[in-house]
Amino acid sequence: MPVIEVDGKRIEAAAGRNVLDTAESVGIAIPHFCYHPAFQPEGSCRMCLVEVEGSPKLELACSLVVRDGLKVRTDTPTVREARRSVLEFFLADHPIDCPICDKAGECTLQDYYAGYDLAESRNIEPKERREKLVKIGEKLLLDRERCVLCTRCVRFLAQIAQTRELGVVERGVHAEITTLPGEIIRSVDSGNLVDLCPVGAITSTDFRFKTRPWFLKHADSICPLCARGCNIVIDHHPGFTRVPGSAKIYRVRPRQNDAVNGHFMCDDGRAGFVADHRAVRRERIARNGGGGAGTEWGWDRALDFAVERIAALRSAGKAGRIGAILHSFLTNEELEHVKRLLASLGAGAVAFADPPEGEASGILLLADRTPNRAGAAAVGFDPRAADPAEIAARSDLLFIFETNRANIPSGSAAWEALRKVATKILFTTHETPSVPLADLVLPVSAPAENRGSYTNADGRVQRFEAAVPACFDIRPLADVLVDLSGKLGERP
Amino acid sequence: MMSGAAVLTKNFDRTDLFRIDTYLETGGYAALRKALTGMTPAAVAAEVKAASLRGRGGAGFPAGTKWGFVPQAAGTPRYLCVNADEGEPGTFKDRFILAHTPHLMIEGIILTCYAVGIETAYVYIRGEYEMIARRLEAALEEARARGFLGPNILGTDFSAEIHVHRGAGSYICGEETALLESLEGKRGLPRLKPPFPASVGLFGRPTVINNVETLANVPGIVQNGAAWFLDQGRPKDGGTRLFCVSGPVVRPGIYELPVGAPLRELIFTHAGGLKDGKTLKAVIPGGLSAPLLKAGEIDVPLSTEGIAAAGSMLGSAGVIVIDETTRIIDLLVLVAKFYSHESCGQCTPCRIGTAWINKIVGRISAGSGRPADLDEILRLAENIKGRTLCPLGDAAALPILAIVRKFRAELEQGMK
Amino acid sequence: MSREFPPALVEGIARLAGRYPAKQAALLPVLHLVQNELGHITMDDERSVAGILGIPAMSVHEVVSFYSMFRRAPIGRYHLQVCTNVSCALAGGGRLVEHLKSKLGIKLGETTPDGKFTLTGVECLGACEQAPCLMVNFDYHGNLDSAGLDALLEGLP
Repeated sequence: MPVIEVDGKRIEAAAGRNVLDTAESVGIAIPHFCYHPAFQPEGSCRMCLVEVEGSPKLELACSLVVRDGLKVRTDTPTVREARRSVLEFFLADHPIDCPICDKAGECTLQDYYAGYDLAESRNIEPKERREKLVKIGEKLLLDRERCVLCTRCVRFLAQIAQTRELGVVERGVHAEITTLPGEIIRSVDSGNLVDLCPVGAITSTDFRFKTRPWFLKHADSICPLCARGCNIVIDHHPGFTRVPGSAKIYRVRPRQNDAVNGHFMCDDGRAGFVADHRAVRRERIARNGGGGAGTEWGWDRALDFAVERIAALRSAGKAGRIGAILHSFLTNEELEHVKRLLASLGAGAVAFADPPEGEASGILLLADRTPNRAGAAAVGFDPRAADPAEIAARSDLLFIFETNRANIPSGSAAWEALRKVATKILFTTHETPSVPLADLVLPVSAPAENRGSYTNADGRVQRFEAAVPACFDIRPLADVLVDLSGKLGERP
Repeated sequence: MMSGAAVLTKNFDRTDLFRIDTYLETGGYAALRKALTGMTPAAVAAEVKAASLRGRGGAGFPAGTKWGFVPQAAGTPRYLCVNADEGEPGTFKDRFILAHTPHLMIEGIILTCYAVGIETAYVYIRGEYEMIARRLEAALEEARARGFLGPNILGTDFSAEIHVHRGAGSYICGEETALLESLEGKRGLPRLKPPFPASVGLFGRPTVINNVETLANVPGIVQNGAAWFLDQGRPKDGGTRLFCVSGPVVRPGIYELPVGAPLRELIFTHAGGLKDGKTLKAVIPGGLSAPLLKAGEIDVPLSTEGIAAAGSMLGSAGVIVIDETTRIIDLLVLVAKFYSHESCGQCTPCRIGTAWINKIVGRISAGSGRPADLDEILRLAENIKGRTLCPLGDAAALPILAIVRKFRAELEQGMK
Repeated sequence: MSREFPPALVEGIARLAGRYPAKQAALLPVLHLVQNELGHITMDDERSVAGILGIPAMSVHEVVSFYSMFRRAPIGRYHLQVCTNVSCALAGGGRLVEHLKSKLGIKLGETTPDGKFTLTGVECLGACEQAPCLMVNFDYHGNLDSAGLDALLEGLP
């Protein structure tokens, strides 16, 4: 292992690594724009210049590979002056958009200005004027005045997504980033460009002007929209306890995990996670078709009702007529509870109402659009073994688990079969078509309010905690199942 | 046109020297024959190294040393790229070689390929030299037809091929790594070094890049030996060079002189001094990227070290003479505009800095300049210097620094 | 509006591509071929070239925009490219430009209404010993003054 020194600090470096990453790993930050660990060094921003003992010129930390005995200084007057002057060049033509720019608060240029410059501009020439609202993607806007030509966006689409949808045209100060005339980016991974852009040049119309990063809280989680299990961060406002339903998710970003998703996530997950949380949720318990039409039942009363119906079937020797329709969005813990519950009841068969497979696309999105089919298999279920319509046909009591993405579509064969089932107990996150059919509707947590684990397509078990609080009647499904089992256990 | 030592230009009186029969008549391709039949590649390389042949494109780096950077165990393919981009303002010597004696360069290319184990060479010729490119292609056809080029040259098992590749109007493509990018069909953006082209060059393979005139010297060295070449010039800087003289002189043109000949002699003897009774104000000794020398600073030898010692560079040997009727502000405008226009835009200091300086200079030229603007130009040029990805940053900064520092009084005078 | 490449052009492109281990390397020579044959390079021409060479359309697009010699719009029969760099400018090249602008009634970058002349400024042509000079299509002309320039233009059919 090569041993190097950075600012007098001795570091055992990994062979082949660059000085910038190595320094960062021990907490020495070297400013940079164009460098990103997902790419080969570019060396064009010139921000990471450092002093190297024995070298007459300053060198780039991003492309300097560690070698034994290398001595680097990142804090000398020469380095600070170089840094300041490079930053000055970045700022010379940069529009002072901060008050209206989404990136303010998480902008590399702002941060470096505060850290390394904090001087008034000396540029008295007219700034370059460029287009500020270029639509480069369905939800992506490019502001060419803010762009610092770090080319991370171009390189991402060229080298990682491999779609080559962005390029740099012209040269010198007229160089600018563009799509082909008349075209926009179609890559399903295009949302990563917003994260990659170190300034507010590329923004998402989903997030534009909605909030400020310093208002947001961050919660680690796992994306549930395909079997990849990309690690994510949920940027949200936790809301106010006295205002139920005021928690708001503003955006979802990838979290680095080199074993799963690298630095990126796909647009389906990015947009889908937020959309699902904002879609019309099932908020209240309801009892349909009995007296007092579904109002004001608490959880205790609701579960008692379920227990009565279950007990009736058991004492009639018809436990085998108890079935379940599950889905692969259930966490490992929820699936375990379901399995145990059904076994303890001597219940019949189960079916899965998973969404159909999609097209695997881009660098991450898998065909399996559920997060936990592997988890279901590990618990002993076979999601493809039975058909929901068939299970419904031989059940007198059905536990139905649904979300906006996994449910029985209205008018389908399974939906028709459901209507003939005597007792339908529905655990759902959203207002699904089955809600009016169910005898008992129980609102449960959506992923952002839930905790548990999924097993991804590689067999990796990944845990997550609740990001935002559940409100109204909503409760985590695992807790509900534990309570139900508890009540059942009190009955012979 | 030329005088002094006539080595490269020895037979320039033969106006059809570009035809292979004339070239052969004057002793052409004898060096190639000598090398292929009696010398190992290593022996050819050693001769060129011992001759201290410095690159004649601008950097002045010893060619033999550069060839030696190709790792011994590198394997094939390897490439030779001939830099015929000649974009440095004030420079036109390669044009003369390509137009008048293309076979001399072709012979030099083939010898270089032999020495370094290369089978394919590309001549990257600037797009504006279209007519010359066609002449070069015809010369290559002739060489092929006579067995000097192609498979099994002169009946040996050495094969080499040369292709002509046109550029399309971009000064930066004269920088060797930008040339490689352009040759690969991309925008001419210089590459990060390391790795160096000798290890990872064209198409990722070991590559040597040499200037037209550099290669044109190889046949002579092979034929006459390293000592012969070295003796004509200076220690560590052998041979003769083609010096370009332009500006208000009596005889602008190409002059072949020994390395180390006095700059004053070039201008006032060979080129006839200034015409129309004009007096000398300044000289740019090595193409626009070389910091200018004032009239009193021209008693320097025309060698790499000699001009460097004077605070400038021999560069491409494009000597531009400036007389007292030229306003320095006009020169500054030309310099600032050129580098801003030709900046590839890849790295921040050059992309933004050259444009910023260009705006200030434009404002001064339009009459609204202040002395503080000159300080600002100096400050910005110092911030570009040494911080860019390729030498174009310095090529812009150093001449601007020299002009503003050496002619400050005149520039300030113009502001009143 | 897409235009067919004539078979000779397609053949020429294939021949050029064969000189390199990677087809993209042929791009600049190919674009010259297309431009010399068809006059200028349209977006569709870019796509056609991209298709023939098997490279992304964006790669062609970037290159056409980067290099000064490639043009996206048609030009006149005679492209008058006046050097505006140091040796020519200091030798009176600026006056040549003004002379041409007033004589032809156009600005730099424009074409005469009869489609005969296009006037552009270019960087150093590498003919400084003949300053001031210009290039007409691919032919160099140097040591020009207004009279010489007039004679040159008159001589162009």
